[in-house]
Amino acid sequence: MKFITKYLRTTEFSLSLLFVLGFISLALTSGGVLLSGQSIRSFLAYLAIPILIGLAQMVVLAVGQLNLAVGAMGGATAAVMAQMMIVWETPIWVAMLSGLFVATLMGAVNGFLVVSTGLNGFIITLGTLTILEGVQYALVRSFTLNAYPDAVKDFGKIDFFNIPSIFIVAIITAVIVAWFFRTNVVARRVLATGANPLAARLSGVSNPLSIFLAHTLSGALIGVAAIVTITSLGGINRSIGGDWLLSSFAAPIIAGVLMSGGVVAVYGTVMAAAVIRLVDIARAQYSLDPSVVNFTIGTVVLSTVALSEWRRRRAEVIRQRFSEDSDE
Amino acid sequence: MSNVLVVEELSKSFPGVKALDKVNITLRAGEVQALLGENGAGKSTLIKILTGVYQTAEGQVILNGSPVSFDSPLAATKAGIGVVHQERNLIPYFSVAENIVLQEQPSRFGLIDVRKRNEKARKALDSLGLTIDPDEIVQNLSVAQMQLVEIAKALATETRVLLLDEPTASISGSEATKLFSVVAKLREQGTAVLFVSHKLEEVFEVCDTVTVLRDGESVIESSPLADYSRSEIVAAMVGRTLADRAKRFRDVEPGEPALELRNVSTVLGHEDVSLSLLKGEVLGLYGLVGAGRSELVRSVLGLHSILSGQILLNGQVVKIGDVREALHRYRIGYVTENRKEEGLFLEFTINRNIAVTVWRKLQAWLGVVSHKKETEVSERFVESLGIRISSVNQLAGNLSGGNQQKVSLAKWLAAETEIIVIDEPTVGIDVRTKANFHELIMDLADQGMAVLLISSDLPEMVSIADRIMVMRDYQFVGEFANSKDYAEMSTQVMEAIQTGSKRTAAA
Amino acid sequence: MSEQENKWGARFAHLASDQRVILAILVIAVFIAFAIRTPAFLSGQFVIFPLIRDTAVITIVGLAQLVTLSIGHLNLAVGRMAAVSAMVAGYTYERLGFGLLAGLLAGVLAGALAGMITGYIIVKSQVNAFIVTLAMDFALLGLVTFTYISLTDAAAFTVKPEGMDVVRAGSLADICVFGWCGPSVIPLIIFPALAVAGLISFLYFQTRLGRELLATGVNPRAARLSGIPVDSRVMQAHTLSGALAGLAGIFLAYVNGSFSAAIGNELLLPSFLGPILAGTLLTGGVVGVFGTMLGTMLTLVIRQGLLVQGIGLETLNIALGVILLLALSANKIRASISSLFRRKVVR
Repeated sequence: MKFITKYLRTTEFSLSLLFVLGFISLALTSGGVLLSGQSIRSFLAYLAIPILIGLAQMVVLAVGQLNLAVGAMGGATAAVMAQMMIVWETPIWVAMLSGLFVATLMGAVNGFLVVSTGLNGFIITLGTLTILEGVQYALVRSFTLNAYPDAVKDFGKIDFFNIPSIFIVAIITAVIVAWFFRTNVVARRVLATGANPLAARLSGVSNPLSIFLAHTLSGALIGVAAIVTITSLGGINRSIGGDWLLSSFAAPIIAGVLMSGGVVAVYGTVMAAAVIRLVDIARAQYSLDPSVVNFTIGTVVLSTVALSEWRRRRAEVIRQRFSEDSDE
Repeated sequence: MSNVLVVEELSKSFPGVKALDKVNITLRAGEVQALLGENGAGKSTLIKILTGVYQTAEGQVILNGSPVSFDSPLAATKAGIGVVHQERNLIPYFSVAENIVLQEQPSRFGLIDVRKRNEKARKALDSLGLTIDPDEIVQNLSVAQMQLVEIAKALATETRVLLLDEPTASISGSEATKLFSVVAKLREQGTAVLFVSHKLEEVFEVCDTVTVLRDGESVIESSPLADYSRSEIVAAMVGRTLADRAKRFRDVEPGEPALELRNVSTVLGHEDVSLSLLKGEVLGLYGLVGAGRSELVRSVLGLHSILSGQILLNGQVVKIGDVREALHRYRIGYVTENRKEEGLFLEFTINRNIAVTVWRKLQAWLGVVSHKKETEVSERFVESLGIRISSVNQLAGNLSGGNQQKVSLAKWLAAETEIIVIDEPTVGIDVRTKANFHELIMDLADQGMAVLLISSDLPEMVSIADRIMVMRDYQFVGEFANSKDYAEMSTQVMEAIQTGSKRTAAA
Repeated sequence: MSEQENKWGARFAHLASDQRVILAILVIAVFIAFAIRTPAFLSGQFVIFPLIRDTAVITIVGLAQLVTLSIGHLNLAVGRMAAVSAMVAGYTYERLGFGLLAGLLAGVLAGALAGMITGYIIVKSQVNAFIVTLAMDFALLGLVTFTYISLTDAAAFTVKPEGMDVVRAGSLADICVFGWCGPSVIPLIIFPALAVAGLISFLYFQTRLGRELLATGVNPRAARLSGIPVDSRVMQAHTLSGALAGLAGIFLAYVNGSFSAAIGNELLLPSFLGPILAGTLLTGGVVGVFGTMLGTMLTLVIRQGLLVQGIGLETLNIALGVILLLALSANKIRASISSLFRRKVVR
């Protein structure tokens, strides 16, 4: 019984509940249209990328870092893959793997810069973001690259019982990430670094390595997102990735991943991405302006962080009693 | 039984301060040794050397027969020296088991071997007689339990020598008893324990031998505790230097109450606390670390909520909203405890550090503050406090501890307040500068200021204060007029602290 | 003799580590390098005039960011605050018939208001500035897009208030004294920008407010415990940041000729480049005001140079990103070089 009441209070439960209720009410108000095969397919297909980039941001948040370059990394990688297939006519699998490799490499460069300069990921990724935007433009210019093999685009159209292939890719990735952080020793060390770098160091964990690995993993996840992008969109242009930043933050933060580090929440991130998609659907259904979505998400993110900050401070005051260093 | 740890003629100096002076310690397996000493005696320096935080020192540290020197805390841990600090060093989101094995997670093909991990954790917990659930998430534990987990963690890494740094600083009662039984188990298992504490009654309960540090020297070296009485230990801790110090009796009569607290209760746990601070007097607030003294002052300054009671300034009831109001409206200054974190702007010049409280006064039209006037003010106080620097444009971060503390004080003197609270002013400061400070503080009172001195340094307190109030567990447990006779005052104060009852003594 | 040596040693160390001198030298050097390669670079009308004009506008954005950096915060919403102000100004021009200055004032106030709200949220919720300004950026984006779409057809206010052309295209050549006119390469807009820089410099180096802002940046705890009203200072810094961002946005609208939702889209990175090149610390407490102008000018000279060479936007972006990263690492290199020259006195 205690286990159940504990679970009921968790963010995961709230998000799941929110999603279910939201979906049902939207389904009802749409007169059942939302439940059609077409709608379900579309809903899940549009979820794939937010899930992947949410996870990419989540892993750097877990070490107390930020990755502003998620969009630029994704866009540039997609551009690279497109060009490889178009100009060099590389086989599809080679291009895909190269894309994954390139994105992972970008992440590794971010990680390396962060660790060697000692500066926060925010400003480093601001720099790499700018560079990669330039790279993306150099590869794409004002064109839309779509002359790559149809097989690629076809993949994005496959679905199994109305569950799109790209969604399955996203979910499998999420499961792997969750499993990785649960069971892999290196991943646990990364979390230790995020939660309490001092304690981690005293236990032999290399904090710089943790930060480097987190950024690298972020790159790999963005690589998957880029693959999903190239298979599901008709072509690659310079605006790919341009709107990824907010979604990449919103999902993990709403899911309770603290900016201070040490926590991953894969299920929560997936659920939060789903809830955010619902907001978008509601917008379409009620013909609201897209700016409303942005505004809402901004407010929710803010409230979530403010709430957890408030809780943390209350706990601090209670612990004041026992603490030697009074904090203001 | 052989010596597990031998510290031989260990010395360490910092600019201007000799923190350790030829300290000798021997520790055997299965022995629980107390490490005692006043603030600034050298305990934390010694611990930092043993745990690899400081890498260089003169003398030798010999572990299991071989000389060692650690280039990092990790190296010390790997060599078998474990430490449980006053601040918790656990990963709050991990389970107890995972925290215990963090240094060496049992794994197969890179994946956590849950069974082996739980086995290892269970073993460590059992050997200490602990029933904490290894799967419990650490942040759900009480502070006391977390500490016990840290001890289990040290055991899991095959610690031969365990340093416990003020383990009962934030726990009491039954939790402390539990801790002592764990220490007994450690003794049974042959672990050598170095028990650092302020609390004499606990030391007598739990320890076999004792080392006392005073002013960096080991005045009692690893001797059986049974050979000494309590007062002999105290005498060793404070020495007879106090009796030799010239006593300064102040002949300025204290005046009206400048600050009064009447039945004040705070959100932090103070209940029904009252005090009266007179103009021209030095009122000492004595207590051990964690007694609640700084917290009381901070509450008065508006940083924490006052739940009930009244604060009076010069007879008028006031409500202080924040430090700004306290300073500018009510003329109260607060020289904070941690000068580096709370008192100084290390990246600023000395000039700016001192003038920060008077910018408001110095500002002219459009808010302009003349650099010349700033410099005038700061140079004036640099001189009157005897701060030895070449220019006020030096960065505060480059100064020695003693000079930094002087700058911190200068900042408040420049503000020309009527009441000043000085919190632990001489921690980590050399003896000569300490004496300097004592004179300065008494001068302030002579000039008519109301001075509230917070200190855990009893000799200092007896040396300067006109009256001493004793605080324990967020309550006042005694108030005494200071006869400046150390033996007499220390007995009274110690009794008050230990019995925890409220007693007042006639002048 | 040694005292003399000492004095020169100290002076040289001060100069060598004086960011502004380095930046000025770089600006001139890069300019000359490009001019040598492509004589067309020396065109007053097509290169130098726009260069100085853009420097003016971007410097103001850089100062907006500098003000938040001074207290150790970031303002990720500079672009959007610029857009909001431009929108309000455009509205007052087109729908309310305001004069040039009145509309400008209204716009700047709108930016200040946005900044004030941000500051208020930061102080009350204790959430860090990064998140608050990020959220504010998206909230304002929504607001601006929505307003333009509902109020206009072309998602822009296209009215040109009287006097706007003077600001946009006017140069010293339009100012004639006794028949002698100034050079036409120097746009009038640089003067308000210089005035703003002068004011900010005055603020930080001469006034109590500036000192208290820097103290808040260096050590907010010590600042609060020294009697500085930290919460007020945080709000004031963000308000000022919003106002400056707003001013830049309105100037940008003047330069572009219309008030649209696209204003401010590309301002985030430039807002950081100037201050960082000037040596402003991300952690607060140290600012370089005129250095920001020089730093901005340097990045713009590089941009113009590359454009004239026919090198495209992408290389520019790459170059700017690399410059940012180098500038960030350079701060560390600079610190170690200057400690070689200066002698640290302990007592």
